Amino acid sequence: MHSLVEPNAWVVLRLPSGNLRVLQVAPNTTTSLGKYGSFPTNLIIHRPYNITYELQDRKPDENFNRLRIVPAAELYADILSSDADTRTAEDATPVPDAEGDDDAPPTGIEYSLVDSDSGTVVATTDRVEIDASARQTLTIEEIEALKKDGTDAGRELITRLMLSHTAIDQKTEYSLAKYKLLKTRKYIRRFCVLPLDIPMLNYWTLEDKDASKIMDMREEMIALLGCWANVHFGGSDPCEAQPIAKIKQEGEDTSMVEPEPVQTSCPGRWLVVDDTSGLLVAAMAERMGILYPSEADRLAKEQREAKSSKQGDSTGGRQPAPKDGEDTQAPAKPTDEAEAKREPEDAAQPTSPKATHKRPPEHRRDDYIPYAHANTITHIHPNSQPNLSFLRYYDFDITNPNPNAHHPLSKHLMTLSWLQLLEPDLDSTYSSPPPNVTPEEIYSWKTNRRSTFHRKRKRWIRTRHIIDTTRKGEFSGLVVASSMDPISIMRHTVPLLAGGAPIAIYSPSIEPLTELADCYSLARRAAWATNTPEEVAGKTLEEQEQWAGNEEFPLNPALVLGASIQTSRVRKWQVLPGRTHPLMSSRGGAEGYVFTAWKVKPAEGKVEARGHLRSRKRKVDDQSAA
Amino acid sequence: MSTTSPFLDPGPLTTPGALALVHLSRDNVLPIYLSKESGTVDGYTEGAVINTRFGSFPHSTLIGQPWGSQIRASIVDTGSRGRKRKLANVVDVDATGNDTEAAASSTSNTKDVKTAASGFIHILPPTPEIWTSSLPHRTQVVYTPDYSYILHRIRARPGAQLIEAGSGSGSFTHAATRAVYNGYPKDAKDKRGKVWSFEFNHDRYLKIREEVQDHHLDGIVQVTNRDVYNDGFLVDGESPEAECIFLDVPAPWQALPHLSRRKPTQSQLASSGLEYPKETSPEWKSPLRADRTVHICTFSPCIEQVTKTVEVMRRLGWMEIEMVEVAQRRINVLREKVGLNMPLERGTNQSPRNVVEAITKLKQIDGRFKEFHKDKQETDVKMEDADAEKKRGDQHGDANVVENSADSGDSLTMKPWMAGRLIHRTEGEIKTHTSYLVFALLPQEWSEEQEAAAFEKWPCGKEHKVIGSLDKETRKQEKRDMLRGIKDKKIAAAKGPDPAPKKSKTG
Ligand SMILES: C[S@@+](CC[C@H](N)C(=O)[O-])C[C@H]1O[C@@H](n2cnc3c(N)ncnc32)[C@H](O)[C@@H]1O
Repeated sequence: MHSLVEPNAWVVLRLPSGNLRVLQVAPNTTTSLGKYGSFPTNLIIHRPYNITYELQDRKPDENFNRLRIVPAAELYADILSSDADTRTAEDATPVPDAEGDDDAPPTGIEYSLVDSDSGTVVATTDRVEIDASARQTLTIEEIEALKKDGTDAGRELITRLMLSHTAIDQKTEYSLAKYKLLKTRKYIRRFCVLPLDIPMLNYWTLEDKDASKIMDMREEMIALLGCWANVHFGGSDPCEAQPIAKIKQEGEDTSMVEPEPVQTSCPGRWLVVDDTSGLLVAAMAERMGILYPSEADRLAKEQREAKSSKQGDSTGGRQPAPKDGEDTQAPAKPTDEAEAKREPEDAAQPTSPKATHKRPPEHRRDDYIPYAHANTITHIHPNSQPNLSFLRYYDFDITNPNPNAHHPLSKHLMTLSWLQLLEPDLDSTYSSPPPNVTPEEIYSWKTNRRSTFHRKRKRWIRTRHIIDTTRKGEFSGLVVASSMDPISIMRHTVPLLAGGAPIAIYSPSIEPLTELADCYSLARRAAWATNTPEEVAGKTLEEQEQWAGNEEFPLNPALVLGASIQTSRVRKWQVLPGRTHPLMSSRGGAEGYVFTAWKVKPAEGKVEARGHLRSRKRKVDDQSAA
Repeated sequence: MSTTSPFLDPGPLTTPGALALVHLSRDNVLPIYLSKESGTVDGYTEGAVINTRFGSFPHSTLIGQPWGSQIRASIVDTGSRGRKRKLANVVDVDATGNDTEAAASSTSNTKDVKTAASGFIHILPPTPEIWTSSLPHRTQVVYTPDYSYILHRIRARPGAQLIEAGSGSGSFTHAATRAVYNGYPKDAKDKRGKVWSFEFNHDRYLKIREEVQDHHLDGIVQVTNRDVYNDGFLVDGESPEAECIFLDVPAPWQALPHLSRRKPTQSQLASSGLEYPKETSPEWKSPLRADRTVHICTFSPCIEQVTKTVEVMRRLGWMEIEMVEVAQRRINVLREKVGLNMPLERGTNQSPRNVVEAITKLKQIDGRFKEFHKDKQETDVKMEDADAEKKRGDQHGDANVVENSADSGDSLTMKPWMAGRLIHRTEGEIKTHTSYLVFALLPQEWSEEQEAAAFEKWPCGKEHKVIGSLDKETRKQEKRDMLRGIKDKKIAAAKGPDPAPKKSKTG
């Protein structure tokens, strides 16, 4: 995450009402806060996050409102002074009842009356104003009674004040309706600029948007999933330049064969099944350090932009149809463009011209596989295209065939459908390799045909790489938040996990997980051990891993250890001097549960077991020691 | 990289010297450093041996295995120790999970070691989660439900510098290390994610430092023996430049004055009853990263600690202060077996499963009763019969009842692990309170010069379009303006109240 608000970044504005507004910070625009006013967006660009601003009145000679940073001391002035009050009150022996309560209504909620034309605050339940104006119609006692009456008493109070307030009296020709009653924290024109990082995206979707879109997945659940699946930075690619290196030297990755993984190291590769529109993928990417472009990348991008604008280069747009990938004579492109246009060629095709090896490093090789081998997410989706729409908030659009090449996700996120995973031969891309043609032939083609050929070939190479590497398995962990039956997911993903790899599955309701856990119940495991189904018993371990299950054993229970289910809920408190207590209400709905376990490798050979507390079994076991 | 911590990259196989976690049962995991030593160790000719209630496991049988492997117990030559028989008998006494898990015979793994029938273990790579539940407790520790949420909230991400005090038993340390890890520093200038851990107690400090070494976390975790209340968080006079902070000490507010952007004023501290930090060097240095928002979490069991912490945070300018509790529950899944025909085993309830079963049984009893009264002369015989019948019923799953009750016919043929209703319950004992978590953040400072520079780079007054939410009035006004044909720069059409991401355009 960057320290400052970048132009065109997605940010969250928190309004005085506590409402959140998510918007993209477009330079040279005006940001409207609706009834609260507006300000030039440029005033928050390249400024820090988490600052509280106050909209200022326009200066006579300016056509915009400036912002003032509100210092913390000012924000806390009330609380801290009432804090001091309580302290003195506590020091005195007889404690005057609820001394500290007078300064604010119990919940800290205030009501304000706003002139919706000017945005100015006409009246608030702030004590000063009440004292000044209320004498006309209300006694202090009445006001206090109203304030203590309940949460919405302030509304009543301010409505009465409306009728008595001089400021309104003076404008009697206007309808009273133009005054808006707002439930607010005292200061009406304050707002905060917050980063739209994962915790915030999660909170916003859950509270303000559509919680069902993310399967009601609370922060606690995301945090548990990430930890139990042991998702973390999974190492740099054996043959990849350092992740923080500026721009990768082109042509560096010339090996045509998959690099052999270094024996002593198991690069972190996580398998993710995500039906939360990409929230889960984004959250895991954040844990792996591949959600936000690195600082170095950002600087490089800025430099490139500066350079290209200086040169008046208008070719900035990324064309999906490159024309000269195969052309050894092509001049070196500006990095940005070349990066986007790099074209892989079929590594396995024997006709691939060997000459490519001798090309100068500036040239993209056609067999380039644009994916990293470590620190990757492989996402399996039920439809032909993945739904990862939340990634767009992080400047990554999975539906773009040439996504932002500088975004770490472009190298580290791979997606495939269940069909591609389980029956790749039915996938049209996978099963139709591009024809073998010589470079000379390609060179003779028209540009259009050439680019179609390259585009198809590129897609085929990517698809083939993703499917083949995924089917090879040895993943470091499995994370799931899906509306599909977890048993069916486990049947096909457990075999893809490395030994000892953790499994973490989220479900908004518990039933799918209890069914899953029941597949690994003690009784079932015992039954499996003593009486392995005939169809399995004779098979090799590998075949047993792939076994499709039957009614009695929907899953092979020997492949998973430590199946357990948990839930976790955060309860928020209000902490105010003398008024500390848990919040009175919070979101209901789906409780949310997490299933955790580890993939294990059963010992080879005939399986015997001892039942619980059945000592006679032990004698049976003795034969196995021989 | 053989020196990579097994926590961060365990590699495909277990290796000598590495930490491995031996999983005996759900709540019984042993941390073991695998030892290659051959020759007699502790009287065992097999070298180092782990003895568990599931049998003996020479390290040699655990090394070079794929992680997650199920390993059978071995018959060890206890030589001088002569514990062999005893061990075999100890096995499995109060086993809950392991003993019913599949045990394989004839392992192919090791040369001269014979497998024993006593049981097996699984060998898992270390993760902070398993470590937390198996580590040697020296203090209270922070468990997964709390630390997962804390690390998420304080934005502990790869590359971050994280301050932790105190280290305690190192539970949080391990989880935090995984979170900030983004590679080992190649040299002094290569700045990578790092945990700066501070511990006041000398013994614990030595222990955690040893653990850091044993777990190959050098360079990613730096432990300092320090009283952070009095001496703050600089290390060798240098700032860790932290952006994430976790305080698990009894009085976090006493550490807070050190965690400021600039030296707190006398009045800020005095009003909270804090002593002014003692002067160590002439110029005050902040341990915080200047160009980032800093996120903090304090962890305190008592509400009074929270009140105090929050008050001091407010005085020191922390924002978005929020206090929460995390309540986690583990859930057991079981099959509830109720019914007269349920097999007699532990946990089943042989009472009627439903009204039909109840009535059927009642009728039966009633019938016997009537018969009994009809033939008073044959009392003795009948009594015996009834008893015998009842016994038979118990043993054979009460076949009569089954036959009579229409909808439970399948129960007999059903496999025992599939019988009964699938239910779940909260585990027997729950942790109802761990601690209160106070979260807050400190925005970076923004000087007038910085503001002036930014204003110059992003000048105002030439706005061409309105974004964000427009209230009705503004929208109407815009329309009016447009209709009047006012050539205002603001003409641009208004977007919807919540611009959807699909409109995203990089420009
Ligand atoms: C509850 S333990 C921390 C447990 C740790 N978070 C974990 O997960 O294992 C608190 C630790 O803080 C240490 N401590 C107390 N006061 C301290 C101080 N002023 N400076 C540094 N450490 C302190 C104690 O010695 C103790 O080890």
